[in-house]
Amino acid sequence: MTLPANATRLPHTVSDRPFDPEAIYQFTDAQKALFEASQRRLMWWKFRRHKPALISGIFLAILYISILFSEMLAPYNLETRNSKFIYAPPQSVHLFNDGQFIGPFVYGFDYKLNMDNLKREYVPDPTKVQRLRFFCSGETYKFWGLIEGSFRLVCPPKDGTFFFMGTDRLGRDVFSRIIYGARISLTIGLLGVGVSLVLGIVIGGLAGYYGGLFDTLSQRLIEVIQSLPSIPLWLALAAILPITWSPIVVYFGITVILGLLDWTGLARTVRSKLLALREEDYVSAAQVMGASDRRVVFRHLVPGFASHLIATATIAIPTMILGETTLSFLGLGLRAPITSWGVLLTEAQNINAVALYPWLLWPVVPVILVVLAYNFFGDGLRDAADPYK
Amino acid sequence: MRIFAVLMALLAIVVAPAANAEEAPLLATAVSEGKLPAEAERLPKEPKVVTIDESTGRTAGKRGGTIRTLMSEQGDLRLMTVYGYARLVAYNSALEMQPDILLSYENDRNRVFTLRLRPGHKWSDGSPFTAEDFRFQWEDILTDKDMDRGGLDSALLANGKGPKFEVIDDLTVRYTWEDPNPLFLPALAGARPLDIYSASAYLKQFHAKYADAAKLEAEVQKEKVKDWTRLQIRKGRSYRFENPDLPTLQPWTNTTNPPSSRYVFKRNPYYHKVDQNGLQLPYVDQVVVNIAESSIIPAKTGSGESDLQERYLSFADYTFLKEGEKRNNYTVRLWTVGKGSAVAIYPNLNANDEGWRKLFRDVRFRRALSLGIDRSEINQVLFAGLAKEGASTVLPGSPLYRDELGNAYAEFDLEKANALLDEMGLTRDANGMRKMPDGRSLDIIVESTGESTMEADVLELVTEDWKKLGIKLLTRTSQRDIFRSRVAAGETNMSVWAGVDNGAPTAEFNPQEFVPSDPYQLQWPMWGTYISSQGTAGQKIDLPEAQKLVDLYKQWLSSEDSAAHEKIWSEILDINADQVFSIGIVTATLVPVVISNKLKNVPAEGISSFDPYGYFGVYEMDAFWMDE
Repeated sequence: MTLPANATRLPHTVSDRPFDPEAIYQFTDAQKALFEASQRRLMWWKFRRHKPALISGIFLAILYISILFSEMLAPYNLETRNSKFIYAPPQSVHLFNDGQFIGPFVYGFDYKLNMDNLKREYVPDPTKVQRLRFFCSGETYKFWGLIEGSFRLVCPPKDGTFFFMGTDRLGRDVFSRIIYGARISLTIGLLGVGVSLVLGIVIGGLAGYYGGLFDTLSQRLIEVIQSLPSIPLWLALAAILPITWSPIVVYFGITVILGLLDWTGLARTVRSKLLALREEDYVSAAQVMGASDRRVVFRHLVPGFASHLIATATIAIPTMILGETTLSFLGLGLRAPITSWGVLLTEAQNINAVALYPWLLWPVVPVILVVLAYNFFGDGLRDAADPYK
Repeated sequence: MRIFAVLMALLAIVVAPAANAEEAPLLATAVSEGKLPAEAERLPKEPKVVTIDESTGRTAGKRGGTIRTLMSEQGDLRLMTVYGYARLVAYNSALEMQPDILLSYENDRNRVFTLRLRPGHKWSDGSPFTAEDFRFQWEDILTDKDMDRGGLDSALLANGKGPKFEVIDDLTVRYTWEDPNPLFLPALAGARPLDIYSASAYLKQFHAKYADAAKLEAEVQKEKVKDWTRLQIRKGRSYRFENPDLPTLQPWTNTTNPPSSRYVFKRNPYYHKVDQNGLQLPYVDQVVVNIAESSIIPAKTGSGESDLQERYLSFADYTFLKEGEKRNNYTVRLWTVGKGSAVAIYPNLNANDEGWRKLFRDVRFRRALSLGIDRSEINQVLFAGLAKEGASTVLPGSPLYRDELGNAYAEFDLEKANALLDEMGLTRDANGMRKMPDGRSLDIIVESTGESTMEADVLELVTEDWKKLGIKLLTRTSQRDIFRSRVAAGETNMSVWAGVDNGAPTAEFNPQEFVPSDPYQLQWPMWGTYISSQGTAGQKIDLPEAQKLVDLYKQWLSSEDSAAHEKIWSEILDINADQVFSIGIVTATLVPVVISNKLKNVPAEGISSFDPYGYFGVYEMDAFWMDE
């Protein structure tokens, strides 16, 4: 069939615009991002909405970064003693003197020994205006015990002192010691949890995946361990550590002890998760395809609940920190010259500290803050671990 | 001596005041009900009259009231025997010996001792105190084969031989040695007295020789002990005050069965002392001992829970205690610690480890360690500069003290100390720390009982000082019993403790603390065991200087005149100072004594020491009184 010569072609009815078959499912960018987001990204979004967790996370991050630079942040060295300033009270930082802006400064002390009650009395002397120095060169230190340096964020005034949180019975700056103590107290939790994480995954994993005799035995062992009161057990284990061990080895010893006693809960979690997951179709599929047990466990099962595991571990860290503090407070954990917050608190363990030198109790504050922060943080992580809920 | 004793007896007769009708408040009811004889009948016929010198600010008081005090464990009840300080012979606060429970005594050239009792003196249960109590203790306890005491106490031995014991009459006994025994009387007057008498009337029921076998067996079963000798020992522990039924001669007697957290000591109705007004002592009716954890005793004391407290307080608590003074109506006094050294470090010359033993026996090493301590800083930091710095010897208050003794190797001289260590061939490694000759690093572990924070603080400062010598100091704490047995077994290398107990002796006091003589001596436990066991245990002394000390001690024991005693003492102290067997750090430290404002007659200044002062013992705690 031919068309008449003057005929015009009917307009083309087929749209030549590019065809998008999914056009009716119009997603906004946000929706798209959500559906295409990775697990990790989803968790981050969920986590971000949990404000206390976010703030805690940032707080912890700052603290952990600070322990890299303790030497620079502390105005004094860990062991520096000021024999002339024993039990000196905290010096507060002022900005204005007589209504005039001077910048951060402290008032120097007038010292006298009260012969009546033999109290060392320190009175801030308003004529001794001592300006703090920043980004300065102070006492020399060995950065991480290796490189010599003297750069500090803040230094005591020339010929003056800067005891932000007072001094202890030997005239050591409490503030500096808290900063150094963070290095030990914060890492001991991580290492301890590391130990218990390894133990928990291995033992719980084996028990959950294979079941049988090993499962029975390990579950009974866990029950026994959990039924033992933890403090006496810590004490007994801590007492075994030989005195001749160098403090750094003792430090690792204590972490291992804390870890050895804390894996049980984690092992149970791992076991129950595995028991549930190993019945899933994709696991059966992997097994049918001839995957080895190891591949099944580590490639298919563990990633399935890794996020959950991390959250649980995070909540376990403050327990570790408290454990170390308790042990050291009782005199059986870390010992001088290693300084942790628990070690600092041991020294505040008498009536004198409470009645006369309350600033010795300052290390309590970071302990509380860190434990709280970890709890919020862990809480946020746990919620985030299940992002679709 | 004889004249003195007779004079004392005469004096007692002359001043013995008329019987007083008034009874102590605690006993008044019992007396009026006829359950207890009147005071005049309870007192010995010739009571000991305590004349309270009112010119010194002390006053004759009135009776009644309760002293509350705090102790930390049941074992501390023995302090009530120490505080009570009723002894056969006793020291006064000037450390002069006087008859106390005894009416009089005679001492013939330190060989023959005749002891006379007070007629009518009774035990706290009312049974008579007679020569029988001495005979029982001597024949049936101390020398009884079954009791198996492991030999006589060293104070009962002169040249290794015990005394001949005689009962002269009902109230007189005599101990006779062939050789002089200058230790006998001081041992009777000691804070922990030598027991040569016991409450025989009570204790015979637990002795196989006197008791009915069946009854005794039943008692053994009941107490769950091995045999009757254990039962006898358990029931007869007079020093420990653990058996409320055991009669005593002390001013207060325990009425509470242990274990308990509160022990009530009530006045002994038959106590042998009266004041110048004829009132039977003690003034205070009751002493209540509350048991509390030692670390919270300062806190409890500061909140007014103790009327008289010295134990478990330390200089560091002074400021805190002072703050509570007005609020809780007490006064804090500072007494001087009577020990030779408040803190001293003891190298163990009998350490099992051969490398360490060799080092410690090298006098250069001991001297270097002593020179390497900055005592003045320790004094400033821990004692506000109020203590004295010096070596471990007698206190500056003692007539035997000389400056050379206190200053021997006590100055801070790092250069000299390092030179001595270099001379010994102790080389330093790359970090500046020294090595032992056998290649181990020079890490000294100092054992401590962990009882005093002061010790820990001192050690912390010493640690820093010794680091400059290239020596690392580590501290290990353990319980006191474990500490002692570890030291005695040679398992420790170094330990920390106080200096000698009696810091201010005269030449008449026993110099044994400066001489190998006792298994508990921390610097030479094995040699001490060897000497105290007459060579049957321990190790033979193989260091000439230590042997010289033992020889001198023997001379001191056998010589009779005080010039010789003084010369021997001074030689012993010289050797100790020169050899630095123990490293003293600070002496004459102060200790707070908290005294309720209601409690009178407690001296404002005093010496706090176990032996020979017995803490409050020589200050006559039985004459303290409550003004209520």
